[in-house]
Order: sequence, then C-alpha cells, then structure tokens
Amino acid sequence: MSDATLGTSSTVREKQGKERQGRSALRHLSLPAGARCASPILLFMALGFLAPLLTVIGFAFAEPRSFAVFESFTLRNFAEIFNPADTVWMSFAWSLALALLTVAALLLICYPIAYGLVRVFGRWSSLVSIAFVFPLFISENVRLYGWTLFFINHGVLDGLLAGIGLSGPNVLFTPEITLFGMIYTYLPFMLFPMTLGLSMVPGDLIEAARDFGAGRLMIWREIELPLAMPGILIGALLTFVLAAGAVAEAKILGGQSVIMISHDIENAFTYSQNWPRGAALAVLLMIVIGGLSMAVMARLDLDRILGRR
Amino acid sequence: MTNFNRRDTLKILGAGALAAGAPLGFPGAALAAREKELNILCWEGYNSAQVLDPFREKEGATVKAESLTNDPTMINRLRSGESKVWDLINVNNPWARKIMYPEKLIKPLPKDEFMPYFDKMLEQFHPPYKWAMSDDGSELLGMTQRFGPYSYVVNTDKISRKTAEETGWDLFNDESLAGKYGILESDDWNVFNIFLVAGLDPFKEHSPEEMKAFEDTALKVFKGAKLIGDIATMNQALISGEIDLHMTGGTYSVSPARADGFPEMRAITPLKGPMNGKGGVSWIEVTSTVNNPELSPLAPEFLKYVQDPEVAHTVAFAEGTFNPVAQMGNKACFDLFTKDELDAIQWDSLEEEMARSVEYDIVPDYEKALDLMNNAKRQRS
Repeated sequence: MSDATLGTSSTVREKQGKERQGRSALRHLSLPAGARCASPILLFMALGFLAPLLTVIGFAFAEPRSFAVFESFTLRNFAEIFNPADTVWMSFAWSLALALLTVAALLLICYPIAYGLVRVFGRWSSLVSIAFVFPLFISENVRLYGWTLFFINHGVLDGLLAGIGLSGPNVLFTPEITLFGMIYTYLPFMLFPMTLGLSMVPGDLIEAARDFGAGRLMIWREIELPLAMPGILIGALLTFVLAAGAVAEAKILGGQSVIMISHDIENAFTYSQNWPRGAALAVLLMIVIGGLSMAVMARLDLDRILGRR
Repeated sequence: MTNFNRRDTLKILGAGALAAGAPLGFPGAALAAREKELNILCWEGYNSAQVLDPFREKEGATVKAESLTNDPTMINRLRSGESKVWDLINVNNPWARKIMYPEKLIKPLPKDEFMPYFDKMLEQFHPPYKWAMSDDGSELLGMTQRFGPYSYVVNTDKISRKTAEETGWDLFNDESLAGKYGILESDDWNVFNIFLVAGLDPFKEHSPEEMKAFEDTALKVFKGAKLIGDIATMNQALISGEIDLHMTGGTYSVSPARADGFPEMRAITPLKGPMNGKGGVSWIEVTSTVNNPELSPLAPEFLKYVQDPEVAHTVAFAEGTFNPVAQMGNKACFDLFTKDELDAIQWDSLEEEMARSVEYDIVPDYEKALDLMNNAKRQRS
C-alpha cells in the first residue's frame, strides 16, 4: 500500500468520524426516531383538531355579524351574551340541567345492568351487550322519530291502549320527553364504561370480604363502588359531555318545548347570520364542559383503568 | 400473513399526500377536471337522484348537490369563501337581486340564451321578470322554477277554509287555539309571520313601538304553540290530531300530506292583511351561477336542462316536497301533471292565493326582530 493511499484512507476515516460525531450530536438535539416518524401524522392531527378550534376561538372575538376571522378583536359577543336582557342563559341552564339529570338517571339505570353483564348473565352477557350496542348502528334521528310515532296520538302506544279501551298519555313535546330521549340515546355511553369499571373489581376481593363477614351493602360501599369508580366516572363524564351538547331530542321529541344551547349555536350560524355570537357561545360551552371534564379527569388514573399498571 | 409495517404506512401516506396535492400543483389539470364537475347548493329537490341522474348520464359528469333548508345559511357559505366550491346556488327571490349580485357572489347569465325561456313560463314570470333581473334591469341574474304561497296550514276538518281565510293571522291571536297549533322551524319566515300576527307589514322599517308589539306577539304566539318542528313533524302532528293548524306553511310544506291522501290539510292564504291589504307571503326560487373563478361550463347547461318540460315536472315532484313550477305555462309541461298531482299542489286556488300574497322580501330590521323572537322562543319553557 502506498503512502498516498494511506493518506487518502486516513482522510476518509477522519471525515467519517466527524460525520458520525455530527449525526450523534444531531440525534441528541432532535426528536427520537419514533416521534420523527410520527410527525406527519401529528402535524395532520394538529391541523385537523387545532385549526377548527382556533378558528372558532378567533370568530368568538370578531365583530358581531362579521364573516372575517382574525381581522378584528372585540369582547362584544361575550358582553351581549352576559347582558341580563339576553335570555340565552336559559338555554345554558336547560342544557346543563338536562345533562345532569340524564347522568343521574343513567347512573341508576345502568348500574344494575352493568352488574348483570359482569356477574349474573354469564354466557348471555355478549348477547345482552349486542342488544344495547345495536341501536347505535341506526341514526339517532331515525330512532327519535320512531319514538315520536310510538307516543303520538293514534300512534303505536295509543293504538295498543285503545284496544283495551284506554288512551295513550299525552307526553310528546314536553321537557320530560326530551329527558327520556336523552336517557335513551346516551344509555350505551354510560353502560359500557361502567361495565368495564365493574369488571375490574377482583372477585377474590369480594369473596374475602364476605369471608370476613362483610354484608352486601358494606361490600358494595367499601369494595365494589370505589374500585369501579373510575369506569363509573368515565361513563358519567362521557354522558354529560354528549348530553350537554344534545339538540335532536329537544327538537324531535320535545317539539322545542325547551331550547338547548346547541340549538342556539346552530341558530347563530344559520338564521341569525351571526357567526361570532355562535362561536362565543361555543367557546363558553367548551369552557364549562372542559372545566368539568378536567375536574373529573384529575381524579382518574387512566393507566390503572386501562390495565397498564 | 401480510405484515403491514410503519414503512408501508408512510408510503401510503406519502402517496396520499401527493394525490391530495396534485390538483394544487397543476392548476391546469384542476381546471380541466371542472369541465366534468358541477356543484350545486340548493333547497331539497334539486339534489334528488331523479333530477340529477339523467344529467349525470347525459354529460358523463360528477354532479354534487348539497341541500339546505334556509337561505341565510346558503348565502353565508358563499360569503365565507365557498364561492370557489359551488357553481349554482338556488335560493328564494330577493337574495339574488338584493344581496348576492351587489356583493358579487353571483354572475349574470347571458340574456340571449336564457331570456327566451321566460316567454314559455306562466304569465307572471314573463320577461322582464323582476326577481330574475338586477336592480337596474340590465342583467339577468337567475332562472325561476318552483314557487308557491306560504302563510299557514290548517286541518279543514277542524277549522274550515272559509274561517281560516277570513280570520287570517288573527287565528294565532285567538286564545282558544292556544296549545292547538304548531310553528314550523323556519325562523326567517316566522319573523315575517309574527309581524303579520301583530298586524304589521314585515317588509318595512319598524318604529320602537312596533318592535315592542312584535316582541309581545312573539312571546304570546310561542307560549301558545304546542310544538315547533320541521315539515315532517308538522304534517305528522296535523294528521294525528296533535294540532289543528300551524304557522309558516304552504303548498311547499303540506303537499306531501295531501299527496298521501289527506286533502283536508290545506295551505291557506288570508283574504286580507297589513301589506297594502294583502295578507299572504309567497316565494319564488331563483337559481344563479356563482361567481366562481373556475365556474363549471356545466352550470348554464344544467339551468337549460331543468327548463325541459319533463325535467321541470320531475323537479316539481322531486322527493321531499311538491310544488308548482313556472314551466307549467308551457302546455307540454302542464299536461304531464295528473289530477292528483294538481290537487296536491292546490292548483285550484293557486292563482288567487298568489294574487293575495306579496313576494318574499328582505326584512330591514330582521336581525333585531330575530333576536327578539329567539328570546321569546326560549321563554316558552
């Protein structure tokens, strides 16, 4: 091997060493490989989720009844909403009250069903679960119109009762039937997280408590409920978030006997031609729901619920 | 077994991104693609397969139509930048002339090509037809087709046609009817009608006293309503006996119930009212070409296509609602309507009802009135 060749090889080695060092320094500075590979999707998701959110927030601070976002800044939309002469607070109140009542009713309705799915129904559990999931494959509006036909004068219920000389109850187009519709619609969203929560209560623990002489109520209060609580809270949260934004039940079954906040938002974007007001209402709704969600999430240990720990 | 790894996923994503970016990168290609593409923003009916499929086949084109059920939303879509998306917009009469053309949201049509169609329409649409023309009368802004009176609907087994016509809007001031009527969720029209129930002409500026009367009337009318809902709900409630009448309605809303065998459900136009003696309001759809920088050449072709007697008859009886069409002035089109179809659209009284109606117009203080009405609606609970 000549000196010249040796000289070239050493230069190449030196160069390669420097490149390696550079790459390693870059690796220290930059993101890990996984994050780099995921960055296109992360960027896509950021655009998909954040862009509309930022646009809504931008509109909330735009001049009332304008269609240009990020070109003006005003708090007038919020001032109008908080003006005592504006009755939009009633829509907020109805939405939140009905959402809370829906959650409360579903807690009572779903607990025995979830308990049955986990501990009683055995091999029938899957079939019962499917029965609760199946309605989700049909559009919510179609199902609600179905209930309208069931309850309406000369409808299914009225017709059946007429056979025994009775008439159907006059329940359509009331706030009560709106609540019924919400309970019906959101039942699966409470049931399945609750079932998951209950399924995570170890049977051995209950057996042990029973062996030590604990009664049914004590076992429920001291073991079952605390251990199932994360699932119950997730179900309650999910149901509340969905129910607070509900509108179809009040429109189709309730005949708009109450106006929900989502209906007001929809109106602002359509008939009122006041996108900034609609956006401001949406931002306020997000703050209320987001605040409540954060408060509940702070009490949850998702890793434990998902079985990672 | 096939392993689908991250590398494959990235390849697909890359290909997808290229495909998505292609039209942006090659504007010429995008423009060429528009020759076989048409996007229509319309009221329901024009989006039905019965109307669109023959045109798709004839032109070998991709035709997309989105239907909405109120004019302001459609106008807002154009205002928010969707002029680049749509080729045709189908809204009610005042919008083209008073709003969309002044705001440069639509383009005029070539008069030599389209004016002759108006000669064959019903007499009231003969050229120059006001709502199809620009304010100065120089430009043709759109083509007319469906129309109808739109005031209220009654079950004539419960309230006779004579009583409903003679009593007029005072039906909704009658306390004995509280809880027996519904209100169609058509808020722009409800604004007109609350003014009319208050004895006021909606299409003029209103004094503070008149706005107060509007507010009081809105509170009373919404409080007394059994329900507010869409057309299907109103017809269902009328047929089932839940309600005897509903505010905001006409041939457009009640014709499906009549066609289904309930001729006792009837659109009513009051005999008198506060609009220079007239009590009813009517609508006429005007379809215009959008001011799209890359307007599809199929847009004017579609406007000509729907003038054909058979297609016009299909539009009149497209799914959803049934309506008279201006093209019924052409005998070839009129002869396609059966007796039952003419009954469904109340052809027997159409002319007199249109004569008793003023044409839909912009309410100068609409925004204020709508806010007052929404407040009233919330207080009904």
